Amino acid sequence: MAEEDLSEMAKDVELHLKLDPPLSANNKPSRSFKTSSSSSPPPCDTSHVLENVLENVLKFLESRRDRNAVSLVCRSWYRVEAQTRSEVFIGNCYSLSPARLARRFTRVRSLFLKGKPRFADFNLMPPDWGARFAPWVAVTAKAYPWLEKVTLKRMFVTDDDLALLAASFPGFKELVLLCCEGFGTSGVAVVANKCRQLKVLDLIESEVTDDEVDWISCFPEGETHLESLSFDCVESPINFKALERLVVRSPFLKKLRTNRFVSLEELHRLMVRAPQLTSLGTGSFSSSTENAGQGEQEPDYASAFRACRSLVCLSGFRELAAEYLPAISPVCANLTSINFSYANISPDVFRPIIRNCHNVRVFWALDSICDEGLQAVAATCKELRELRIFPFDPSEDSEGPVSGLGLQAISEGCRKLESILYFCQRMTNVAVTAMSENCPQLTVFRLCIMGRHRPDHVTGKPMDDGFGAIVKNCKKLTRLAVSGLLTDKAFSLIGEYGKLIRTLSVAFAGDSDMGLRYILEGCPKLEKLEIRDSPFGDAGLRSGMHRYNDMRFVWMSSCRLSRGSCSDIARALPSVVVEVFGSDDDDVDVDEDNADYVEILYMYRSLDGPRKDAPKFVTIL
Amino acid sequence: MEGCPRNICPKLLDLIPQGREWYHEENNNTDQEKKLELRLGPPGGYEEDRSAKKNTETRNNNIMKEQTEISSPSKNHLSPCNKANVSHISQKRTAPGPVVGWPPVRSFRKNLASTSSSKLGNESSHVSHINKNGDGVTQVEPKREGMFVKINMDSVPIGRKIDLNAYNSYEQLSFAVDKLFRGLLAAQRDTSSGEREEKPIIGLLDGKGEFTLTYEDNEGDKMLVGDVPWQMFISSVKRLRVIKSSEISSALRFGCRRR
Repeated sequence: MAEEDLSEMAKDVELHLKLDPPLSANNKPSRSFKTSSSSSPPPCDTSHVLENVLENVLKFLESRRDRNAVSLVCRSWYRVEAQTRSEVFIGNCYSLSPARLARRFTRVRSLFLKGKPRFADFNLMPPDWGARFAPWVAVTAKAYPWLEKVTLKRMFVTDDDLALLAASFPGFKELVLLCCEGFGTSGVAVVANKCRQLKVLDLIESEVTDDEVDWISCFPEGETHLESLSFDCVESPINFKALERLVVRSPFLKKLRTNRFVSLEELHRLMVRAPQLTSLGTGSFSSSTENAGQGEQEPDYASAFRACRSLVCLSGFRELAAEYLPAISPVCANLTSINFSYANISPDVFRPIIRNCHNVRVFWALDSICDEGLQAVAATCKELRELRIFPFDPSEDSEGPVSGLGLQAISEGCRKLESILYFCQRMTNVAVTAMSENCPQLTVFRLCIMGRHRPDHVTGKPMDDGFGAIVKNCKKLTRLAVSGLLTDKAFSLIGEYGKLIRTLSVAFAGDSDMGLRYILEGCPKLEKLEIRDSPFGDAGLRSGMHRYNDMRFVWMSSCRLSRGSCSDIARALPSVVVEVFGSDDDDVDVDEDNADYVEILYMYRSLDGPRKDAPKFVTIL
Repeated sequence: MEGCPRNICPKLLDLIPQGREWYHEENNNTDQEKKLELRLGPPGGYEEDRSAKKNTETRNNNIMKEQTEISSPSKNHLSPCNKANVSHISQKRTAPGPVVGWPPVRSFRKNLASTSSSKLGNESSHVSHINKNGDGVTQVEPKREGMFVKINMDSVPIGRKIDLNAYNSYEQLSFAVDKLFRGLLAAQRDTSSGEREEKPIIGLLDGKGEFTLTYEDNEGDKMLVGDVPWQMFISSVKRLRVIKSSEISSALRFGCRRR
């Protein structure tokens, strides 16, 4: 799906509206400027008829990119498109103000808002930086009373925001919070209680404060509309009996992702009551200590799984007791998605399980399955599209149970691979090159060699050739994250061959400003650039002057930037907001030696200029 | 190749931009000397090409020191503006100290080894930061400014957080609690007239009001707020709760404290 966000197209539209619209079919100037409707519009008013037709046609148009293109045709089309767009995606919540959104689009049913840049996930951004949902909910509450769906990623959402949301939208159906924070179980409780049409409540990888509220009990009595309930990231116990009752009275429930406070016995009870589930987050997947050793008959977990004939997605396994893992065998052949990334599974335990998973398309796991485990995946999972291998021990000096061996095996077995995220301690150019040749469908390649500046561990050479092969051979590549020892040559290759790359992530790499220049003078589709701890300085930054208006954002932290050049950019590009700050929220650095040094640069294009809610420690140049 | 910008004092970042020149000087060492050089990293000698590379950790002074100590004697203690003495750092064995946000794994994916990791909301990861110590040791420490504790109020489902460092006395705290909860309490008690009366929440400390402020200390005991000196209170309080005065047992109310 196209990542072009509202702001880019909106900006273009603002420019285009200054041009005259094309003539209508009758060769008369189009009358579409007239906004007032006469009491009896002449029946041969072509443009009026056209607008109606257009409206009915555009209702079928869903793709964001198509709609953006449509809106550029002329004023009339712009207006009709704006009235018929029901799903709005905003890739950077600061690229425009909520008021502008409300002015342009009048009938929005679904809103997707993204806030902080991705590096905020790794504590690189001080807290209270922003990305608050509050101004958005306040405006949309008035503008879109029929809003049904809100998806937020990396936003700061408070309990009050959730309360306002629950109170303002009577038809509200879907709430998805990805990597959000700022709220607690109180806010969740209000949503559960007040949103009577709720179908989806998904809390995914978010931080949810434990307010000691029994939010599960807050769902209203009677049959619910719930289709999806995910709370695996909630780090507080829940009222299991209430959950069980909820599941029983939710006949449409298809996706249920429980948290680690749900034991295996409790999971069993849920599965028995909801065999129609398609996606299951299994909670702790270990026996609660009360039952252990009581001599009672253990529930038949395997048959519970067998009864779930529609189950295609499994996750959870937060505190996996490995002896119970074989219980999932009855569903393995049906599974298309498996997430083992919280479970420390050894190769011996893993191999008999994965052997049956022929249909898996998405597979996430810890590196504890080792290269052997990856070989087993390669042997069986021929339909694999997405692979993510996370480190069990995320430090630079850990042993590193996976390596180029596993990567190469995957590349040879899983030819349809499209997306990979791979953490390892050591890698070789040969393995990366093999993947580039075996997996031409790759659109996402993210390799994280955890040891900084680590070269090819066999040849001792930089990893330039491997990543070079990726950009040369994977012609569909849109997202790339690099690591290991890399020289400017790697960036010259990326700039030259990365024709479709939209997102580039760089850490501890490169030699000089040339590296950054290669990227900014190449990579024609680049939208999101995030760089940390690399020797790129002012000259490199300046070389991208011609591009920043067309990019969503640029993040550079711990590089070699000076305030002067950042100010120059801000001056030269008024529609780019240039934020400069430090990694902790001290006030402006008193250290005079360092006063000119820019620790973090975050700049993004915006239609509405610098934001008004920037905290003290942020300087907007 | 871009030289170091003139208007900023070269910092640790600028270890290497002119690195090539002195690297070539280093090459004048005889092979003999090279073999004798102590270096970090596995044997094999493939570090030569890249050992001149930078370490762009601005905060890892510590690592510099460690590596300079172990490396060959020509290295000096690293000083910010002294390019000439930049150490010949081997990059193979990367620094033992942790770097913020590296590897790029979200906080809930760390500590997988401990099966019962109790993460209480956003208190742990939210406030971790690099501590810019003078001695350059890179630590991840909880911030000292801003002491946020949870505060709940009976009959109000929404809890809040309150920064105790913002106040210096019980009175200020009591006032803040009133401000925080007055509106929420009124919303909970929608009168039939439809109008919300916002009554101030008073008497939190003396037992005379409808509500009383209590707290849970670091030993888990529930205490009435106001008995001990403010600083002592600050050092032991873990969370606050505003309860109905009627709920307090008469023993507590009439001055029998547990301590």
